[in-house]
Amino acid sequence: MKKGKIAMTITIGIACFALVTVMMMQFKVVNETDITAIEEMQETELKTELASWKTRYEEIDEQYQEVTQRIEEYKNDEVSNNEASQLVQEELEQTNTLLGLTDVYGEGIIITLKSGKDITPITADDLLIMVNALKFAGAEAISINDERIVNTTDIVYITSGSFIKVNGQRILEPYVIKVIGNQSHMESAVTGTGGKVDELLTLGHVATIEKDNDITIGKYNGEIETKYIQ
Amino acid sequence: MIFIAILIGCILGAILGLNAPMISYTYSSYLAIAIIAALDSVFGGIASVVKKNFDLKIFISGFFGNAILAILLTILGQKLNVDIYLAAIVVFVWRMFMNLGTIRRYYVEKWSDIIKEKTAKQEKKKNNENDEKNIG
Repeated sequence: MKKGKIAMTITIGIACFALVTVMMMQFKVVNETDITAIEEMQETELKTELASWKTRYEEIDEQYQEVTQRIEEYKNDEVSNNEASQLVQEELEQTNTLLGLTDVYGEGIIITLKSGKDITPITADDLLIMVNALKFAGAEAISINDERIVNTTDIVYITSGSFIKVNGQRILEPYVIKVIGNQSHMESAVTGTGGKVDELLTLGHVATIEKDNDITIGKYNGEIETKYIQ
Repeated sequence: MIFIAILIGCILGAILGLNAPMISYTYSSYLAIAIIAALDSVFGGIASVVKKNFDLKIFISGFFGNAILAILLTILGQKLNVDIYLAAIVVFVWRMFMNLGTIRRYYVEKWSDIIKEKTAKQEKKKNNENDEKNIG
């Protein structure tokens, strides 16, 4: 065999050796990186992918921020709504109390009146004057025989049946007037010179004043209707 | 003879390559193009052996030169953001097919010659036998 041919053979053998070595290394790398699709991609592809993900992330982040802001606004609204409704509620309760639409409790006095025998019985005017005096003294809630005195309350004497109507309801003796307010003020409003209770007593009626620290006055049972108020 | 050399080279290369350390994935694209270039060179070498105009210097310089040039072109392509390696692959693969064609043609001609010779011999033999019979 010629010398040249041997050299040629060896050279090609070495070339094949080098080639296959590098090929195997490459196969290994490709195999190794073939596990996930991401690693298979070219660098440029990855870059574009990354960029698109970034933009998407930014978009979603923006949306998230927006939504968070909106939630914050709603929360604020809710708080203010709550406050408003609470205020309204309080106002309503206060109004109801003032109007006599709720049961109320508190310290006060209980006045019991009974007409004396063989004299003119206690009139509606007596009751009216007494209620007026009590109001003047700062009474916060008054009831006569559990009829709450409210804005629209009428205290009238029905001549035909000779009885008194309060809130349109017939009331009978003894008249029990419950008042919530400062006890001494209430008492002094109806006693002493010009006091209705003392006056009635001198006329021969029976009247007692009782102090009570826990008086319950029921709410007004009727309905307050308005037809002409606009 | 040359095929034995190729076979031994391949086996040894496979053994070494499988035991070689991993290379970074970043360089694998360069390596891939170098492999294509080297493959082309090897086929070219075999083709030249077949054509009986093999030159050691040309083979070696082609083997390394093509690989290095291909790698450099790939790097340049990445720097320019143009996929130059595609062009290199096209050229190398085209040349590979050309060389393979040369090799194939050579062996096909060789084997067909051998078969022709064999059949000619057999015919000669038959003719001779016939002649003998005729004579007989």
